[in-house]
Amino acid sequence: MMTIRNRRLAPVVQQLALPLDAKPNRAASDRPVDVVLAAIVIALIGFGVVMVYSASAVQATLHMHDPQFFLKRQAAYAVVALCVFFLVGAVDYHRLYKLTYPVLGGVGILLLMCVVGLGHSGGGATRWLAVGPVHVQPAEMSKLALVCWLSYSLAKKADKVKTFTVGFLPHLLVAGVFMFLCMKQPDFGSSVVLLLLTFTMLFVAGAKVGYILGASMLGGVFGAVSIMSKQYRLDRWLAWQNMDQHRADLAYQPFQSVMAFGSGGPWGTGVGKGLQTLYLPEAHNDFIAAIIGEELGFVGILSLCVVFLALVARGVRAAYRAPDDYGSYLAFGISTMFGAQALVNLCVALAIFPTKGLTLPFLSFGGSSLLVNAAAAGILLNVSRQGMAAPAPELETPAPPRVAEDPLLDEPLFDAGARDDESVASALGEPSLLGDAASVKETA
Amino acid sequence: MKNLDPTRAKWIRVRMGLLSGIMALGLGGFVSSAYRVQVEDAASWKETAENQRQRRLHIEPKRGGIYDRNGAALAASVEVPSISADVVEMLKGIDGQNTQAAALIDFSTRIAGALGMDPSDVHQKLANRRRFVWLKRRVTAEEAQAIRDLGDVKKHGGAYGPGKGAVKGLGVEGEGRRYYPGRELAGPVLGFVAPDGFGKDGLELSLDEELRGRVEEVRGLRDRSGRLIFSEGTTDESSLAGHDVHLAIDQAIQRVAERELDVAFRTYETKGASLVVMDPSSGDLLAMVSVPGFNPNDYGEAEADARRDRAVTDRFEPGSVMKVFTVAAALAAGSLKPTETIFCEHGTYSIGNVTIHDTHQNDWLTTTQVLAKSSNIGALKIGLALGEPGLYAAYRRFGFGEPTGLPLPGEASGVLRPRARPWFEVETANASFGQGISVTTVQLAAAMSAIANGGKVMEPILVRKITDARGNVVREWAPHVRREAVPQAVAKTVTEMLTAVVEDGGTGVEAAMSGFRVAGKTATAQKVDPATGKYSEDKYTASFVGFVPADKPRLVIAVVLDEPMIGRYGGDLAGPVFRRVAEASLRYLGVPPSNAAPKIKNVKGSDADPSLVSMKPDEPAAAEDGDGAGAAGTPVAAAGPAPLAGPPLPSSVKVPDTAGMGARDAVRAVGAVGLVPVVEGSGKLVKQLPAAGSAVPKGSSVRLVFEPAS
Repeated sequence: MMTIRNRRLAPVVQQLALPLDAKPNRAASDRPVDVVLAAIVIALIGFGVVMVYSASAVQATLHMHDPQFFLKRQAAYAVVALCVFFLVGAVDYHRLYKLTYPVLGGVGILLLMCVVGLGHSGGGATRWLAVGPVHVQPAEMSKLALVCWLSYSLAKKADKVKTFTVGFLPHLLVAGVFMFLCMKQPDFGSSVVLLLLTFTMLFVAGAKVGYILGASMLGGVFGAVSIMSKQYRLDRWLAWQNMDQHRADLAYQPFQSVMAFGSGGPWGTGVGKGLQTLYLPEAHNDFIAAIIGEELGFVGILSLCVVFLALVARGVRAAYRAPDDYGSYLAFGISTMFGAQALVNLCVALAIFPTKGLTLPFLSFGGSSLLVNAAAAGILLNVSRQGMAAPAPELETPAPPRVAEDPLLDEPLFDAGARDDESVASALGEPSLLGDAASVKETA
Repeated sequence: MKNLDPTRAKWIRVRMGLLSGIMALGLGGFVSSAYRVQVEDAASWKETAENQRQRRLHIEPKRGGIYDRNGAALAASVEVPSISADVVEMLKGIDGQNTQAAALIDFSTRIAGALGMDPSDVHQKLANRRRFVWLKRRVTAEEAQAIRDLGDVKKHGGAYGPGKGAVKGLGVEGEGRRYYPGRELAGPVLGFVAPDGFGKDGLELSLDEELRGRVEEVRGLRDRSGRLIFSEGTTDESSLAGHDVHLAIDQAIQRVAERELDVAFRTYETKGASLVVMDPSSGDLLAMVSVPGFNPNDYGEAEADARRDRAVTDRFEPGSVMKVFTVAAALAAGSLKPTETIFCEHGTYSIGNVTIHDTHQNDWLTTTQVLAKSSNIGALKIGLALGEPGLYAAYRRFGFGEPTGLPLPGEASGVLRPRARPWFEVETANASFGQGISVTTVQLAAAMSAIANGGKVMEPILVRKITDARGNVVREWAPHVRREAVPQAVAKTVTEMLTAVVEDGGTGVEAAMSGFRVAGKTATAQKVDPATGKYSEDKYTASFVGFVPADKPRLVIAVVLDEPMIGRYGGDLAGPVFRRVAEASLRYLGVPPSNAAPKIKNVKGSDADPSLVSMKPDEPAAAEDGDGAGAAGTPVAAAGPAPLAGPPLPSSVKVPDTAGMGARDAVRAVGAVGLVPVVEGSGKLVKQLPAAGSAVPKGSSVRLVFEPAS
């Protein structure tokens, strides 16, 4: 059956996509979705629309003479994003691997178009491509494209991942090309995320830790050089180091952002009552977390962290339960993409990291980011759905009854994560879940 | 279908768990940082944020205006554009240290060209690369337009290139600038406002808080570019604006008084002079003049000496004016009968080892004559008969020795007992005729008002009301009787006595007016020479304080000339000022002359007549009939605040024949038919233009040329 399918593929894909041992799981399509995951995504998108409005109303009134300028757009994106989320969620992820190379190549071309000058400039960088009235941001797509390709390639190569020439170098080269193109825009933040994703997935798939450490060191040197080479990056870095001295110029944004967090206090000023939107440029975009911090206080930020943690935990749960490596890598890569971006964005907003230009997934204003993240969440939803199709535990390897009896309603990870960060870490490594994976193997 | 090797799958899961754990740890780290910022350091961050919003209130709320009693603006704030720059915004999109430096120089040159500044000055301001810097404050409309053009992307294009491309980050903001339409008018009373928005003198200083508007009332906020944002739905900037101050001063009377006092200041070469016009019935200060004055629009040009309001800040020994209050006090106390005669010792009288002289040697004088001839010896005998406690208490009742409470900075209270103990006999004697004590011009006017209005000491009112920017009254000063200084009958008696001062034989004949009975008192007080500590032989304070009409007083006018170089006597120097100001003001107020009043034939110094240009051209001749008393108040409102330029009257009139008339009658005749007399020269009327009988539009001017009789 596998070969028949492959024969129908376009020659290029046929050549590249041959030996993946994965096929659509027809039984999964009528399984119920992971309600918790879906609820988190929907809640985040909805919350994002509210916060974008709150953060942008003043600036929109001043510059666009329409307080709802950003609200209207974000609401429209949100509707489309929800459709994308459920549509992608309904497509068996096993079908996606055929799209891996076209998507990877397409995104690469889009990135190249940005760099060679077809892009649309804004804020000193060329990150957008104008397609009619819509501006798309290829860098956002590149993250998901890379995750999909790495999942596919790593799953396909299986044990060969341990080798340098087959398992390590090609992945690093593709990621390197993407990073280079992002860097050229310039979009330093996306490059960092791409590198992070690549290393994470290589590590998970079992690449030699020595290679990864070596490459990390190389990346560190390269990063340092690229910071040094561009004066504005160096200035920004130094300004971030001495924030107090540069609060009026280069560190203005991070300083105002921390001030927003701080003036929110434990309970916040209330939604729509934040005043730092007057001072914080891009409040509705990269620094939306600052406005959340100001308007909802520490309590709001803590809740937001818990929700993101739950999202990632739910994704990792899907990765654990995925019926195959491809699904597992996909789910984990996407979860990492959400988690790493959110964490970096939050840390930038609190000036723990220097300014990078990364969005907060699902919350920041912007169509490209929202749609790409919704699509990624859709894939995650589908992986989780198939994981639930895991057959009943065999007698020889009894799985914890809670997981097996009612996987849909049983949320040990989520509950644990909501209570305590540390317990999540331990819960993730819980043997009971490994037992579940073992049971999957037994059925094969 | 499964491609999971059990060991491999297990290790994959372990590694995933490890990475998830690291991520969770990272999140934990973030949460703990957030806890530190948001919970532990929240208060200090909140304060920083608040300071930032406060600090960025670049523009003061619009300062309130100062208006005269008819609503004419004496001080107003107008918005004048100022230019600021956001250098970070300016350099956005220009990469590279060298390119930016070059761009900055280029921008500086172009901005300097637009603002007419030195490019290196501009560059210096931009070099710090601040987010906000003033480039030039208070620019002209053309300069503001030039700056807007520089920032116009459509005109210059968005991209930067040497000498082209729009200059970003330039801001044009309105800033308040104080403007005094009347120029020197009431300058020392009004004071001025420094560029930082704080009032520095006069009412601008003392009412600064009210005028400036309150920042803490501001519910709106400014964003990082200084724009005003209203957070709570308030869209009315007037809620931030300062209060308006409405004065009792009448611009027209103030103007006349200033002109006349200035003439006296120049003519007699005095060191300074002050004048107060008060309405005795209400205490309203209709005019308050201090010369030399200054123009608050160019306060930098004026010396500090010219900026102070002498009428309240300068105290001086009043001299003979105090005899009025001595007599009033003695009459009220019963120690003096109105009909009493007093032996005046032929001009020389000794108390202990001090000898006191009179200017004229008199023997027996009635009380009225003591005032009319201004006998020191007569006054001191009255004072000594009253006794020290009685005299001191009476002076205090009239308001001397304490500030009048005007809202002006630096008001002097005057000193009654300079040694802080009751007077000795000789001091009581001196005080009886105004020596050894000090008063202010405003105090004299207020005390004389008490004589004029039947004994009531009124609170002097400079500010009638303060309203907020929407017109609601915030504070109001209604006429307020402070106390009764003397009984009404005594005040009436003293008034009658004071009319004798301006009659033939009195010291104040120069103050007499045709058609009005004048009551008043002259004073020529020697000044203490600070070098010797003794009374100087050639330094005097010449003054006249009086009111008119004597039987129904409308105006109290106190004129004080400090150290005239030419002339000496209060009657000769201050009297004419009183008369001219009174004449013009009464005419302006529409007070009809009384038939009962003496027609004075021999008006000295017909140069007084130029003041009549301020009369209302259509002053009805009917006023001569004396029946216009009831309507006296109404013409004021009809005339409005600008009586100097009466409304053009449509119909044409015939120019009357003034041949052979006196100056006064000629002016009156011309004024009666609705023409404006313009007087040139003095003496006999020799020429009239246009000629008699020609028809001219009402309101046009008629030149009357006079020449000395000889």
